[in-house]
Amino acid sequence: MIQPQTHLNVADNSGARELMCIRVIGASNHRYAHIGDVIVAVIKEAVPNTPLERSEVIRAVIVRTRKELKCDNGMIIRYDDNAAVVIDQEGNPKGTRIFGAIARELRQLNFTKIVSLAPEVL
Amino acid sequence: MRLEKCWFCSSTVYPGHGIQFVRNDAKIFRFCRSKCHKNFKMKRNPRKVKWTKAYRRLHGKDMTQDSTFEFERKRNRPERYDRNLAENTLKAIKKIDKIISDRASDHIKNRLKTGKVQRQKEARKQLELGIHLVKAPLALAQDSSLCLPKIKVNVSQAQTEENQPMED
Repeated sequence: MIQPQTHLNVADNSGARELMCIRVIGASNHRYAHIGDVIVAVIKEAVPNTPLERSEVIRAVIVRTRKELKCDNGMIIRYDDNAAVVIDQEGNPKGTRIFGAIARELRQLNFTKIVSLAPEVL
Repeated sequence: MRLEKCWFCSSTVYPGHGIQFVRNDAKIFRFCRSKCHKNFKMKRNPRKVKWTKAYRRLHGKDMTQDSTFEFERKRNRPERYDRNLAENTLKAIKKIDKIISDRASDHIKNRLKTGKVQRQKEARKQLELGIHLVKAPLALAQDSSLCLPKIKVNVSQAQTEENQPMED
C-alpha cells in the first residue's frame, strides 16, 4: 500500500539507499501501489560515488510490501519492509544485484531480469 | 501443494488458509490463523503459551518420541507418480493416523492415571468420615460396619455419687 510520500528501501546495488514515492504509474490520484507496480520516486539517500545522486527522480518497481499480497493459489504473504528496485524506462534494473526475497508475481509482470537476479523468490 | 505446520501452534495449515510472514533474512513463518499470527506479533514464545504443541511437548503432556513421527518427516525429493504407490500410501495414511491417535491418547491416559488413583483414595476417606451425612441413623445403628469404631471413655465412680442428691 505505497502512496506518495512513502519511504521505501532499495533492494539493489544501483546506488540509492532510500526512495520516496512521488507518483504511482498508471493510476489515478487515489490508488495505492502494491507489489509489481511501477512508481516514480525521488532519491532521499544515496551511496556516495555512484551514478545515482540524492534528489534525483527515477522510476522503481515495488518488490516487497508490509501489506499482505494475495497470491492466485490462495497464499497470503507479508514482508517485513517496503522495498523497491530502481529501473529504467524499459523496465530493466539499473543495478546488478538484488538483495532480499522477491515475490514470484514479478515474473508474470515481465520483470524476469529482477527475478533471475534475486537470491530468494517466494 | 504442501501441507505446512503453523509456526506457533504446530497445527497443519491447508492451502488457502493462514498468512505467511517473510522476515528480512528470508525466513518464512507460516501461521494457521490470525490467533497465532497476532501472538507472534506480540512476540510471545510458543514454548510458554499453554495451548501450543510446543509447550505440551516440552512439558511432557504429549508424547515426544515415537516411530510414527518418521512418516511425517519433510521430504524434498518428489516421487515419480506410480498408481500402486499412491493407492498404498492412501491406505497407509489412514491406518497410521489411527495408530498415532491411539498412542497419543494412551500416553495422556497413563499420565492421568496417578491423579485418578489419588482422587479415589481421597474419596474413600471422605466417605468414611462423613457416612452420617449419607446413611439414615437407624441404618447406622443396625449395621455397625458402616460406622467408625466407637471409642470408650472411662468415667470415674466418685463423680456420679456426688451428683445424685442434686437431682432429688
